[in-house]
Amino acid sequence: MKRALPFLAALAALGCIQTTGGRIVAFEARASGDSSVVTGGPLAFTTPAGFDVTLTRAQLFVGALYFSQQNPQNYTLETSCVQPGVYTGEVRGAVRVDALSASPVPFPVAGNGTTAPTRAAELWLTGGDVEADVDKTVVLEVAGTATRGADSYPFEGRVTISQNRVVPPRNPALPGSNPLCQQRIIAPIPFDAELAEGATVSLYVDPRAWFASVDFSTLTKVSDAPPSYRFEDSSTSSAQADKALFNGLRSAVGPYRFVLTPP
Amino acid sequence: MKSSPVHLLVLLAALAARADDVVPPEVLARVDATLPAGAPPPLQDHVLLEFTVGTDGRATDILVVESAGAAWDRAASEALAKWRFRPARHEGADVAARTRLSFTMPAAVLRDAGAPPEPVDAGLPPGPVVSEAGVDAGEPGDGGLTFFVADDAADAGHPRHEMATTVLGRSVPKSRGASDFQLEVGELQVVPRRGAADFLKLAPGILLTNEGGEGHPEQIFLRGFDAREGQDLELTVDGVPINELGNLHGNGFADLNFLIPELVESLRVLEGPFDPRQGNFAVAGSADYQLGLPERGLTVKGTSGSFDSARLVLLWGPPGETSRTFGGVQLFRTSGFGQNRGAQNAKAVAQYEGKLSDNTSFRVGALGYGATYKSAGLLRADDVVDGRIGFYDTYDARQGGDAIRAQVHADLHGHSGSLTWDSTAFFVFRSTRILENFTGFLHDTQLPQQNPHPQRGDLIDRDTTAFTVGARGSARWRTRLFDRIQELEAGFFARFDVVDALQLRVEAGGNVPYLRDYDLGSKLSDVGAYLDANLSPTWWLSLRGGLRAELLTYNVLDRCAAKEVRRPSATDPPGDESCLSQRDFGRYRDPTERNSTTGAVLMPRATVLVGPFAGVSLSGSAGTGVRSIDPQYVAQNLDTPFAGIFAWEGGAGLARRFGAHDVSARAVVFGTRVDKDLVFNEQEGRGIIGGSTTRVGTLVAARGRGAFYDVSGNVTWVQSKFDDTGLLVPYVPDVVLRADGALFHALPFLRPTGAPLTGRLGLGVTWVGRRALPYGQRSDVIFVTDLNAEVSWRWASLGLAVTNLFGAQYRLGEYHFASDFRTSGTLPTLVPVRHFSAGAPRAVMLTLAFRLGGDS
Repeated sequence: MKRALPFLAALAALGCIQTTGGRIVAFEARASGDSSVVTGGPLAFTTPAGFDVTLTRAQLFVGALYFSQQNPQNYTLETSCVQPGVYTGEVRGAVRVDALSASPVPFPVAGNGTTAPTRAAELWLTGGDVEADVDKTVVLEVAGTATRGADSYPFEGRVTISQNRVVPPRNPALPGSNPLCQQRIIAPIPFDAELAEGATVSLYVDPRAWFASVDFSTLTKVSDAPPSYRFEDSSTSSAQADKALFNGLRSAVGPYRFVLTPP
Repeated sequence: MKSSPVHLLVLLAALAARADDVVPPEVLARVDATLPAGAPPPLQDHVLLEFTVGTDGRATDILVVESAGAAWDRAASEALAKWRFRPARHEGADVAARTRLSFTMPAAVLRDAGAPPEPVDAGLPPGPVVSEAGVDAGEPGDGGLTFFVADDAADAGHPRHEMATTVLGRSVPKSRGASDFQLEVGELQVVPRRGAADFLKLAPGILLTNEGGEGHPEQIFLRGFDAREGQDLELTVDGVPINELGNLHGNGFADLNFLIPELVESLRVLEGPFDPRQGNFAVAGSADYQLGLPERGLTVKGTSGSFDSARLVLLWGPPGETSRTFGGVQLFRTSGFGQNRGAQNAKAVAQYEGKLSDNTSFRVGALGYGATYKSAGLLRADDVVDGRIGFYDTYDARQGGDAIRAQVHADLHGHSGSLTWDSTAFFVFRSTRILENFTGFLHDTQLPQQNPHPQRGDLIDRDTTAFTVGARGSARWRTRLFDRIQELEAGFFARFDVVDALQLRVEAGGNVPYLRDYDLGSKLSDVGAYLDANLSPTWWLSLRGGLRAELLTYNVLDRCAAKEVRRPSATDPPGDESCLSQRDFGRYRDPTERNSTTGAVLMPRATVLVGPFAGVSLSGSAGTGVRSIDPQYVAQNLDTPFAGIFAWEGGAGLARRFGAHDVSARAVVFGTRVDKDLVFNEQEGRGIIGGSTTRVGTLVAARGRGAFYDVSGNVTWVQSKFDDTGLLVPYVPDVVLRADGALFHALPFLRPTGAPLTGRLGLGVTWVGRRALPYGQRSDVIFVTDLNAEVSWRWASLGLAVTNLFGAQYRLGEYHFASDFRTSGTLPTLVPVRHFSAGAPRAVMLTLAFRLGGDS
């Protein structure tokens, strides 16, 4: 019997490699504010431009999560909404994240994918069809007060991504160079992981990064008494603040962080 | 009883072969036949019959050359039809032979010729009685008015009609070892089959799947290869190549649907590139179908059954001609077993085989085929599980296709002195259109110069039209050395193809193309030459092998060479045009581009055979093979890259006769390595070149045949891995088991109007183990049983076939990739998931056939 053991072990080893490699997996996904955020309270921070911001409302609508094998450096950002290559995971359900809360909100559907190496994540800010001409879903809602010196800017803002966010092509001969769907996808968010069965993917949203480049002094004033300012929900707005918030929202590096927790 | 036996002395004339290398048929079993009552006396002293002794040892296609009267002729013919022969042998292999026998009347009968024979008592025991050759057939029983076979044929030989044996057809290639399967369909014809491709399953390790519908070629898996629609398997029909060069569905695409299954007489499957005759695409091996119709006369066959299926087959084989002279027509229609599976096709084929001399025979033939069909395609397993779509439904009802084939061919076979030669010429027109959608709405890439668009759908519309003209030929020289026959053969193969291929992407919901993927006009040639030796230094040792050289040329006009421009003209932007006529900044370019290139390869192949010792032979083979690449991949003046294969095998085979039972069996271990294997790509909808792979496996196959049965079984295990990672190659089955069985016999006690009812039962069982799929997945097991029962009486037969007898709901093909058919919301599904094509559910088909005018 002892003599047979090595043979049996070899057979078992052979049996272990009888695979095409990898596995398919199901996992949970959840989203919350960044762990440094105090739950339930307003978030106070200072932007690089010197604005002291007290954020009282910061809600992000995430339509779906996708994970890709594509290395972030190789992302095709100009035209394609779906990257070439293999996607390693997807969470096809929407969640509204309170970025001021560290309490995770689970996505309504489980994620599914494979154990192929994940290199990047994508946040799809869409109410459904990422290619739709019109999508009135409010993907970002913020409110708070920004002060710099004696100037105070109570503000609020709501962001939708529809025809108001169409970016005309730089070259009219390249009309397809900025499809609207690209405006709705935040990618590539670096995420090195190997999805595992039963694991949890956590999305942490740090709203401070949205305002990193915002010059609140350029906000549109909507009332004097009390003073109130508003982010215009349009890419055609000439206000720096409006563009900076939208760019901050769509920044793949900074506001968003993914963490994989093994089962 | 008053009768005195009438001794019709049946004379077996001396078997005199015209050619030294022909061993004539030898009688194994003879039959006494009862003369019908009231027969008039013979008109002359003999009945001269001409007939074919097939490789199954049966006398068929019996023609009365010189008559002694209808009753005598019929009695002699019926008796002869029940004889059993050892087939003629030509160059060491069983061959069909056309020959003659003279049945001479004994003097006693001739003396009484003026008086009719006395009637036969009704109570006389009927014949026939089978007796072994060489054993005294005995006197007819008392009171029996019978023919019987005299044992001493030589003494009774009729001086005017010595038997001449003329070997017909093409030379049978020498065996290349245990993986060389000469498969005679024989009685296994009764096993239900979907089409002619199904005969491949008689060879070990072959799995056929089909996600494309009734007119779509079968996808062939063989010994760990995913040969797709023939890309890794060289397919020929009577030497005419079936693999298509330049087909956009895959270079080497092969469609066997033009064959009428009833006309498949045998096939040779060589699993591996071990014979220098094998050419391009012989990566996993090769299969050559031989057509023939052993039954003479007119056969009318109608089938009707499940899914509104109906099939009409007309076959005819003129009496007196060989089994290779035939005609046939098939008309078929079905609504299919689920959504979008309707199909219609029509096939016609005619061939004539004749003799130019005793040493030379020829064949000429023509065939035509037209088909149109719908296809359900693949389904996502999660959609089926969640009830979003039914198991037999479809996502895209535009899938399907059509096919046309027209062909004429001719060949010559001759032997003269020490030389045997074959020549074949062919002309083929072929048109194939296939519409498939594997991925739904996923791969419509937005190019910068295009107007913004959503995903318009991934329906691929491929159309390929090809004209092929070609020839093959060989000459074999034989000499005697070491007191053994030694052979050397030289041969060639040449084909020239003009191919027009167009691939479009069609917008969902209509028939409007939105993108031109490929638009190619190709002029291709493939010329091969080989030298093959068959050396036998001793009786127990044979060395076979040689060298093959292949040269391919490509001249490819890409009519859509430019598809993207980074800096287009601002004043004249290309917009949504697929094939651009400008370079950067609007500089003009013609949208076409021509690439010419060539490639050559040298392939050694060798086999060693040892034995037989008590019927057991050992063999070992090694060889290299190639698959040429698709025309769209060639580049100007760059050598054509081939996919190369090295294969080896060792095996043992047994061929014995135990009394009335023929038994053959073999066991093989094999290994192959391919440097550029094909792996299925869902975006392209076909196999594309991947990495190098190696496979190792073993098989066991056996067949047994007797007077009332024919059974065949095989099992193959193979492990196929990528060389760089050691991971399994997906989709190929690692265990395939196939069993075919046929029982046939006269039914007891049932002799309406004195003619027996003959029953035939055919059973086919396929078991395929869980195939490896991407991401460590395994497919379901396939286990399907097909059954057919037939009863025939004189010129009529009735059959009932049940395919998928146990009504298994199974997945025939399984895949794992990403698709988005928009069945579960508007968010795309981008992660690979399981897909499958549904296997056919239980089907019942009733067949009524009549055979008229045949004399065998």
